[in-house]
Amino acid sequence: MSALLDYYWTNAKLSVIEQFQYPVANYFYMIGMIAEPVIYLVVWSTVARAQGGEVGGYTPGAFAAYYIVWTLVRNMNIVFTPYGWEWRIRTGQLSVSLLRPLHPLHSDISFFAGWKFVVIVLWLPLAAFLSLVFKPALNPTVLEIGVFFLAIWGAYLIRTMLLWLLGMLSFWTTRVSALFELYFALELLLSGRLVPLSLMPPWVQTLAGYLPFKWAFQFPIESLVGQLSPVELMAGLGMQVFWIAAGALVLQGVWRFAIRHYTAVGG
Amino acid sequence: MTLPTSASAIHVSRLSKTYFVPEREAGLKAALKSLVRRKTRAVKAVDHISFDIAPGAVVGFLGPNGAGKTTTLKMLSGLLYSTDGEARVLGHIPSRRERDFLRQITLVMGNRNQLQWDLPALDSFDLIRAIYRLPAADFTRARDEYVALLEVGPLVKKPVRNLSLGERMKMEIIGALLHQPKVLFLDEPTIGLDVTMQRRIRSFVAEYNRRYGATVLLTSHYMADVEALCKRVIVIHHGRILYDGDLSGLVEKFSAYKTIGVTLEDGTADLASYGAVVGNEAGKVSLRVPKTETAAITARLLADLPIADLTVEDPPIEDVIERVFAQGASEEQAA
Amino acid sequence: MNLFRLAFIFFRVGALNELQYRVNFFIQLLQSLVALGVGLVGLGLVFSHTTDLNGWSRPELLAVMGVHILMGGLINTVIQPNMQRLLEEVREGTLDYALTKPEDAQVIVSVREFRIWKVVDVVMGMMVLLAAMLQLQARLGLWQALAFAVALLFGWAMIYAFWLMLTSTVFWFIRIDEMVNLFEGVYAAGRWPVSVYPDWLRTGLTFLVPVAFAVTVPAEALTGRLTWQTLLGAAALAVVLLILARWVWRTGLRRYSGASA
Repeated sequence: MSALLDYYWTNAKLSVIEQFQYPVANYFYMIGMIAEPVIYLVVWSTVARAQGGEVGGYTPGAFAAYYIVWTLVRNMNIVFTPYGWEWRIRTGQLSVSLLRPLHPLHSDISFFAGWKFVVIVLWLPLAAFLSLVFKPALNPTVLEIGVFFLAIWGAYLIRTMLLWLLGMLSFWTTRVSALFELYFALELLLSGRLVPLSLMPPWVQTLAGYLPFKWAFQFPIESLVGQLSPVELMAGLGMQVFWIAAGALVLQGVWRFAIRHYTAVGG
Repeated sequence: MTLPTSASAIHVSRLSKTYFVPEREAGLKAALKSLVRRKTRAVKAVDHISFDIAPGAVVGFLGPNGAGKTTTLKMLSGLLYSTDGEARVLGHIPSRRERDFLRQITLVMGNRNQLQWDLPALDSFDLIRAIYRLPAADFTRARDEYVALLEVGPLVKKPVRNLSLGERMKMEIIGALLHQPKVLFLDEPTIGLDVTMQRRIRSFVAEYNRRYGATVLLTSHYMADVEALCKRVIVIHHGRILYDGDLSGLVEKFSAYKTIGVTLEDGTADLASYGAVVGNEAGKVSLRVPKTETAAITARLLADLPIADLTVEDPPIEDVIERVFAQGASEEQAA
Repeated sequence: MNLFRLAFIFFRVGALNELQYRVNFFIQLLQSLVALGVGLVGLGLVFSHTTDLNGWSRPELLAVMGVHILMGGLINTVIQPNMQRLLEEVREGTLDYALTKPEDAQVIVSVREFRIWKVVDVVMGMMVLLAAMLQLQARLGLWQALAFAVALLFGWAMIYAFWLMLTSTVFWFIRIDEMVNLFEGVYAAGRWPVSVYPDWLRTGLTFLVPVAFAVTVPAEALTGRLTWQTLLGAAALAVVLLILARWVWRTGLRRYSGASA
C-alpha cells in the first residue's frame, strides 16, 4: 500500500514539474475556458434583473458566485479525454502500460492530480479578477469550505471513472465520436454546468438526482455557494463516495473485457 | 534440445496464433453481400511452434517481416492471447499477466517508448522505481551501473526531447532494465541506429546477460546483432520454425555453395569454366562453386593458373538466410 | 479575378477529397444537431423564466443563434482550417512550399483548405434563421436581405482579418495554439446579442475580437434594428482590419524568410 502511495506521489510530482514548464499555455487555456461561464453569468444576471432581482432563487450576485466557483470545479473536472484512448491503442502506448505491474488507472489519476495542483495555484489570481468584476455574493462557513475542498477531489474522481468508461468504448469501435458528443451534451444539461439545476424543469431535476453528473459538478459548487445544511453536505459527500465506488466497480469489470478483447486481437 | 519443462526459462509448445481477417471482394454486389454475411480468412501468424530456452541463454529469432517474430514475442510477454498451444515463461502463463510475472520480464520494442518526453531521464527512472516498487538501494546501484556501462552520465539530466535518437535508445534500454528482469524480449533493439551505437547496445546486452544470467530472446534484421550475441538461432518463416540450433550449423545445413576468391599474378583470365563468377573487385575474382566440388575446383585452379592468392569462404549469412526463407517458401508451396 | 479562380480550384480538390468520407457527413450532422439541441434548450430555459432579454424577444434571439451557427459554419469551412494549417507549417518550416508558388502567398494560405462538411452548419444556421423569421412574421424586404448579406460579408471579412493577424503572430511567438483556443471561447459569446454584456466586454467583443460585427450586426439587419451608421461602420472597420492584417502578414513573412523587418 505504501508502495502505491509512493508511486502516486512520484508521478504527481513529475506532473507538477512538467506543467510548471508551460505556465503560459495553461493560462491561455484557462482564460479561453472562462468565456463559457461568463456568458452564462451575464445572460442569467440579465434575466434576474428583468424579473425583479432574482430568478430560481439566484440573484445576480449568487449567479456570479456560482459561475466563478464553476471555473475551479470545471478545471477539476478535466481528466484524460475519451478521444485519447484511440491514440493510446493505435500508437502502442497501451501495450507499454500493460507490460507494467500497475493498473493504468493509477497512472492517469496520479498524473492529473498533480496537474490539478498547478491549476489550483494558477486559478487563484483569475478568481480574484473575476470577483472584482462580477462581485459575487459569497460568505461560506468553515464547514462549507472543508466540504468544498473534499468535494472537488470527489468530483475529479467521479469524472475520471465516467470518462474512462466512455473511452473504453474505443476498444470495440472507432466510430465513437457520436457517442462522446451525445454524452457531453447530456452531461452539460444534467450536471449543473449550463445552469444551476434549480432553474431546470422539475422533471429534469428529478432525473439529475439519479445520475452521477451533478455530483461531479453542481454539488461541489453548491457546497460552497449554496445554503446546504450540514446534513445535506455530509450526504452529498456520501453520494460522491457512492458514485466513485460504483464507477470503479463497473470500470474494473469493463476493463477486464476490454483487455481480453485487446489481447485477442493484438496491438 | 528438450529440457524438463521446469528447468526452462521459456517453454513453448505448439504455440499458435491465427487471425481472422475480413475478406471482401471489390464491387457493389460483394459489398452488399458482406453486410449480411461476413467472410473471413484465417491467417496463421504463428503455426504450432515449439522450443525451450534455458535460463541465461541468448537466443536470436530470425525471420523476414511478417514471419511471426513479433507476434511470438507479444504472446510470450502477455500482450497477445494464443489460439492454440501453451507458453510458459519462468513458470508463469504470460496471458494471465500476473504481477510477479510482469516484474520479471521486459519487452523492448523499437518505436514505443516509456520515458517522459519533457523531463530528464533521471526523473523517468525514478518513476520506474516507484512503479516496480524497487528498494532504493538496489535501484540506485543498478541505475548507476547501467549509466556507467553506457557512458551516459552527463546526459541523464537533459530532457529526453533534447537527446539524439541513439542517446534516447540508450536511456530506454536503461529504463527497461532497472527492475533487473530475468527475461528480456528485445524486438529489433538496434534498428535505426548508427554502427557505433549498435555495438554499444550489443555489448551492453551481453554484459547484462553475463552479470545477471538473464535469458534473452532477441529479434533482429541485422545479422551483426545475432552473430555478436547469439549462439543459438531460431529461424521462423510463415509462422513455422525452419531451423533451431547453432548459427554455424545454419550455414552448414543450408548453404550448398562456397565462395572461392582468386587473385591472379598476371592480369585476368576467364574463370567462367571453373564456376559462376559472382564478383570481380580489384583483381580478385569471386567464384561461387558447389560445396561438394570445392576441393576439386581449388586443385584445378592451383594447377592451371598462376595464383597469387586464393581463399575459400562461406557465403555471407544474409545470403544463407535468404536461401532458407526461399526454401521454406517453396516447401510451403510444395506442401 | 485571380482570387476567385484559385479559391475555386482549391475548393474542388478539398471537396472531392472529403466527399470520399461520407461517414464524416453523418458525424458532422450529429455534432451540429447536438449543438443546436443544446442551444435551443438553453434558449428555452431562459425564456421559461422571462419574456424578454435586454429588449430582444425570443424569436429575435433565435435569429441571433441562427446567424451564430451560420457564421460559425462559414468560419469553419474556410478560415479556421487554413489558419490552422498555416500555423503548423510555420512551426515545421514547411511554409516554403506555399511561398514558392507563383501566386500571392496570402491568397494561397487563405484558400487552400476547405472543409466541406462544415457546410452542414451553414445550412442549419439558415434553417434556424428561417424558423426565426417565420416566428417574427417579418417581411423580408429586398433592402433588408441585401443589408443582411452585406453585413454578413463584412463580418466574415473582419473575422478573417482577425484570424490572420492572430495566426501571423506565430512568426514571432511559436507557441500560440492556446491563443487560438481563446478565439473559440470568445466566439461562443456571440450566441447572445452583445448588448447583453457589460460595457467593457461589449467593447472587447466589438473591436478586439469582432464577434459583434460577425453575429449581432447581421442579426440586427434581419430584425430591423440595423442603422445606416452601423452598416457603414462595419464597412469601414472591415477595410481597416483587412489592410492591417495584410501588413502584419507581410511583416511576419519577411521575418520568416530571414529579412530584417
